[in-house]
Amino acid sequence: MADPATIVVEGLQRTFSVRRREPGAGALRHLLSRSSRVVRAVDDISFEVPRGDIVGYVGPNGAGKSTTIKMLTGILVPSSGTVRVLDLVPWQQRRQLASHIGVVFGQRTQLWWDLPLIESLELLRHVYRIPPRRFVDNLTRFREILELDPFLDTPVRQLSLGQRMRGDLAAALLHDPEILYLDEPTIGLDVVAKARIREFLQLVNRERDVTVLLTTHDMSDIAHLCRRMMIIDHGRLIYDGSVSAIRERYGTARTLIVDLEHEPDEPICLARGREIRADGPRRWIQFRRDEATAAELIAELSSRYPVRDLTIEEPEIEGIVRQIYEDGLDSLAT
Amino acid sequence: MTAILLQDIRLYLTLVESRVRSQAQYRGSFLLVTFVTFLGMATELVAVIFLLDTFGDIAGWGVGEIALLYGLAGIAFGLAEMVGAGFDMFPEMIRRGELDQLLLRPAGVFTQVMAADFQLRRFSRIGQALVALILALRWTSIAWTPEKMLYLPLAILSGAIMFLAVFVLGATLCFWTVESVEVINTLTNGGSEMTGYPMSIYHDLMQRFFTFVIPLLFVSYIPALYLLDRPERADWPGWIVLMPPVAAACLVGVSYILWGVGVRHYRSTGS
Repeated sequence: MADPATIVVEGLQRTFSVRRREPGAGALRHLLSRSSRVVRAVDDISFEVPRGDIVGYVGPNGAGKSTTIKMLTGILVPSSGTVRVLDLVPWQQRRQLASHIGVVFGQRTQLWWDLPLIESLELLRHVYRIPPRRFVDNLTRFREILELDPFLDTPVRQLSLGQRMRGDLAAALLHDPEILYLDEPTIGLDVVAKARIREFLQLVNRERDVTVLLTTHDMSDIAHLCRRMMIIDHGRLIYDGSVSAIRERYGTARTLIVDLEHEPDEPICLARGREIRADGPRRWIQFRRDEATAAELIAELSSRYPVRDLTIEEPEIEGIVRQIYEDGLDSLAT
Repeated sequence: MTAILLQDIRLYLTLVESRVRSQAQYRGSFLLVTFVTFLGMATELVAVIFLLDTFGDIAGWGVGEIALLYGLAGIAFGLAEMVGAGFDMFPEMIRRGELDQLLLRPAGVFTQVMAADFQLRRFSRIGQALVALILALRWTSIAWTPEKMLYLPLAILSGAIMFLAVFVLGATLCFWTVESVEVINTLTNGGSEMTGYPMSIYHDLMQRFFTFVIPLLFVSYIPALYLLDRPERADWPGWIVLMPPVAAACLVGVSYILWGVGVRHYRSTGS
């Protein structure tokens, strides 16, 4: 193995005991009541991340993504299992590890709300004790690629979401971390801002060899950035592999979209394809990759109907993952 | 260990400096707010003075003596609030989940929380208490000795440390329940209010509670007894005069340890 793993997780578990709050019970009653149930937020997860990888960590709300990140960063102590990040045990060597990782939470900020962006970055120089030379080099670079200059002197509370995210990215990377954790980095951003953030992450990963672990709801983030993705649901890791493999293995349903010369009288019915949508002379025909090739389908179709134009639609990762959440892996594998 | 402590102190000063700089940017509004706060607080003092003027004294303590209690407690509280107000807004920080951000940085959580809410305008409380102290020194006839001159600043410093420790203890409760805000307010603001009056006006049980459980008695009452050479507690042992710094050291030690327990609890329960 050429690259040593930067993150090694084995049998990681985290349970929470959730106190049930009786409706109408006061604060004191709530404090004293012992009725609680145990929730497994992270249930026996193991994985490794080699240096320089960009890994997508996805799952529906409450699946255990944030809880995992909290344990990897040392905020939260696991119930059982082992974690080594850069050869440190996060919850025992939190302070030491903190100098080597950067974290961006899409919904919160590392920046000081009432200070201008540049002041926040200056403060972080002290917090992380970044040597002046390195600080200036990094700041100059990030100002350029993240285009921070127009709002460098603006108080953080006045920044737009996209601007703030760019500021937060710079803040998380100023101390040259080896690992960058991103929790929903593109949440609430428009298409242009998203694209810009993704480009930046690719650049940083390439230029600085930063290992990136990102959680997201947005499958297009994954499709653009990650070679590998992990899917977590109900605290369990249900998929860990390449992004293209999930498409090939589980995304078996492809769609052929045809424009016919004129509208057929009845729905199209082929040996290995069925019409799933119709809009005048345009028809959507679904077929399975393992049953028929696109060429066979087109041949059959054009022998029976005059075809003017056609395109083939590959399955969207988004749809595959949604189906995995809903029905589990088995539903797609068969 | 020492290196980490030094790093944290330096970081605290840097964080405070940046707050001061950003607050000083609006100099006009800063001066106005400070002045208004000062006036607001001064009325409190003036009210007590008028009261005493009408009724003579409280439990044998005249205007000057009360002003001394008030000044000692006020300066101590003001200093504590100045340095550690971050602990006062800690419930908010926990509720908004900001503690996680602090845990992600290579710095002590204690330091970062302490520096989180430094406000220049809090000088007005100290200023106002200082006025009370100066008036007290004019209105009473303290038989000054070199010991007493050393004792006065020591007593104020000890008082400030005790209040700071109470702030920390209050904030520590939030690791278990955020609903403890009211408890904190009772301890801190109530404590500062209480120490502004001679202890002898309170019930015996209450006096004992505040002596042994939360030794706020040491903030102003005992120092004032000593400075004024009042005979009313002649049956207490002489060394009790030296208790304020001892109590401050113990209290701050206990609160720091419990704070550490609280942080560990937070990290093991995740809430």
